[in-house]
Amino acid sequence: MRRPCHAKENALTSFMQGDVWVKLSVLIWGAGCFAQGQIGKGLLLCLEEALLLGGVILTWPSVMKLPTLGTVQAERVWDPVSRRNVWNDYDNSFLILLFGVVGVLLTGTFIVQCIRMMKHARHTQRSAAAGIAPAALAEDITRCLNRDFHRTLLTGSIGGALLVLVIPLLVMVLVAFTNYDRNHLVPTNLFTWVGLENFKLLAGLGTSSAFGYAFPRVLGWTLLWAFTATLSCYIGGILLAMLVNSRRTIAKPFWRTCFMVAMAVPQFVSLLLVRNFFADVGIVNTLLKAWGVTDWLYSIGAIPTANVIPFLTHPDWARPMILLINFWVGVPYQMLIATGILLNIPGELSEAARIDGANGLQVFRHITLPYLLHITAPSLVTGMVANINNFNVIWLLTRDVYITTDQTLAAAGTTEVDLLVTWLYRLTQDQSNYKMASVIGILVFAVCSVLTLIAFGRLVGRGREETFQ
Amino acid sequence: MKRFGAMLMCMLMLGGCSRKQSAESVSLRVWVGDNADIPWMEQVIRDFRAAHPERQLDIRIGVQNEGDAAKVVLADVQSAADVFTFADDQINSLLNAGALMPIQEGTEDIRNANTPESVAAATGPDGQLYAYPATADNGYFLFYNSAYITPGDVASLESILNRAAESGKKVAVPLANAWYLYSFFAGAGLDMHLAEDGVTNLCNWNAADTPITGVQVLSALLEIAAHPGFVEADSDAFVAGLKDGSIVAGVSGTWNAVVAAQVWGDHYAADKLPTYRVADQDVQMASFSGFKLVGVNAYSAHAGDAMDLAAFMTGYDAQMDRFAMRRQGPSNVAALASAQVQSEPAIAAIVAQAPYADVQRVGSKYWDAAAALGKIIINGNPEKTPLQTLLDQCVAGVTAPADQ
Repeated sequence: MRRPCHAKENALTSFMQGDVWVKLSVLIWGAGCFAQGQIGKGLLLCLEEALLLGGVILTWPSVMKLPTLGTVQAERVWDPVSRRNVWNDYDNSFLILLFGVVGVLLTGTFIVQCIRMMKHARHTQRSAAAGIAPAALAEDITRCLNRDFHRTLLTGSIGGALLVLVIPLLVMVLVAFTNYDRNHLVPTNLFTWVGLENFKLLAGLGTSSAFGYAFPRVLGWTLLWAFTATLSCYIGGILLAMLVNSRRTIAKPFWRTCFMVAMAVPQFVSLLLVRNFFADVGIVNTLLKAWGVTDWLYSIGAIPTANVIPFLTHPDWARPMILLINFWVGVPYQMLIATGILLNIPGELSEAARIDGANGLQVFRHITLPYLLHITAPSLVTGMVANINNFNVIWLLTRDVYITTDQTLAAAGTTEVDLLVTWLYRLTQDQSNYKMASVIGILVFAVCSVLTLIAFGRLVGRGREETFQ
Repeated sequence: MKRFGAMLMCMLMLGGCSRKQSAESVSLRVWVGDNADIPWMEQVIRDFRAAHPERQLDIRIGVQNEGDAAKVVLADVQSAADVFTFADDQINSLLNAGALMPIQEGTEDIRNANTPESVAAATGPDGQLYAYPATADNGYFLFYNSAYITPGDVASLESILNRAAESGKKVAVPLANAWYLYSFFAGAGLDMHLAEDGVTNLCNWNAADTPITGVQVLSALLEIAAHPGFVEADSDAFVAGLKDGSIVAGVSGTWNAVVAAQVWGDHYAADKLPTYRVADQDVQMASFSGFKLVGVNAYSAHAGDAMDLAAFMTGYDAQMDRFAMRRQGPSNVAALASAQVQSEPAIAAIVAQAPYADVQRVGSKYWDAAAALGKIIINGNPEKTPLQTLLDQCVAGVTAPADQ
């Protein structure tokens, strides 16, 4: 179809210069179409308008209450005759926030659509004036299924993403600017906006300094953990893969299967089992005590209490133990990935190198490692981000077991082994402190995005394809 | 937000229908604390139906641990069960969130039928009754193996520790658990309780002007923790120590009574907590008393029927069944006085400890802060921090505003 080409007009001039149908189409979206005899299309546009307008009207009360997040406290009266509670028409701050956000989005869409419809009507009007017949509904539908099929497909997925991702995320982010905590739980209590108070609290500017003290420490351990855990599993996996695939190893499939079995057991089962092994009354402690290792460690001052090695209960022991256990759990997976890549390295490369007199170390240094790094760099970055949010390992190994002796950390509801994400969980689950959890969530996002941007820029940036030769 | 359900109800009522629910079907959800409670609850529901044949009842049982009930209810009050069981320490957070329905009918009967302590535990700061007492056994006391420790020794913690150490055995005291740590400070007359706002704590453990100071308690605790007969043991470790024979006495609760009775057999004994030596005096260890309470969701659509069920669940018959099936100590005075209940050593010990037990009214900031202090005591204060500093920091954590 030939597209008519018109001089550029902005919304205002379109409106001013348009005929009465164009002006009307701001209010009744189908008006422009009706004027050109496109009855079906006009009706569809009117239907869209009705739906959007319905949504706007339904959510409008919430939008109006957004500035305060509600003022009417819930009140209950017992009715002894019906033996039921009678509630007043109270405000629920959380629903106001949720529907308010939806309402603002709908209203914004509605206004943008009003202008677009008017411009569309003006466009068809000018096309008609230029003697180009307007497209029939059937033509439009065919276009949506053929030339503009990408739009048809994207509409669904973008709508879905908006509904299940963007709106909840937006609401959760907004909670960081409210006082939604255990003293302001809906529906009985109201919560309201507090601006940047929660961020100040985390920065240590609040009345209590516990959060300001805890945040840099938890962040520091989170980063240390993510870096060490990712790198140790990565290197360990590659070395293991090379060992298993070495020419001198016999029964390779057997060894490979051994490690695969470790992967087949669900991670949380392994972790809970290992936690019990290393508990203060666990099998490892019992054995080491019986063999005299515990007493020896105590005599040289390596453990603070007699009789028990605090594998998962003392910060100096728990952190390395967690890294070690994570290494054990994570290595088989990395080994599998590395195996696949190792088998894909063109044999002629190393063969040529050997003919040139390179030894095993040189082949690894100049061929295997660059090849591996080149292919796995993106997975290293995602692995790092995943480890920042590695809830399972930390939570399953230390929940109910690890008690901090740092009194200020305890006051902030966290411990030396907590990651930001487990701290967040403790805050929401144990203390209903949604506002601080939201603040921490935002900061976790910031940390992850900064790391990802830097790492991708460095490792997977432009021109990387050419560097491996 | 408009609550259409509530409006609908108002309209129903304006229509002048009285006692409408006798004809319509009433669906209720009830949460019990443990899978093992389900057979008991099914029995209760059968009896409840039989007592109310005119009602069309659709009652569904769910399991929600009493210790975590408040957490789950607070996460979404409107989708929580109509009737739920919870440990009494959560009553304030539930009240704060407006989740509990004040009991409207038969409050005098409940007050008269149950022990005064359990009624106090179910009463809100405003003096209204907010829950039905269900059990009165959630406290802790002393278990001991009479083969090693004679009833004459159990009066003081020092003699128990000495006796255990002489035979190379251990006494389990869970000091790193804030719930048990309270015992020593409260026993010495120090104070830690909820402020009037119902969420923050007041605490004088670091004060210098009390008859026995917190510093003296702390040094006594450091001595106890260094005693060769002492072992720090949580519930799991206590059971493990019982079974391997290393532990011959310990502070724990009724939940370990069955295991202790099995392992120690005829030597199984229980008593109130002993005294401990602080500032050259023997002071009686205090404790938290705990009760399981049954609450009615304030947002329940059938609050009246829910209250009937909750009252039935906590009546004399149901509490006797509960004791018979689950060995849980009743709060009902008549049930408590019955011969079966009296013959259970753990229940007798709870009753003996009751005069020294405080109802647990503690804000959420207490637990982590006090646990950290307990952990430092067990480690023997390795950094040699001045004891006053430890207490100051602990009190700062315990009394911190609850919203931070």
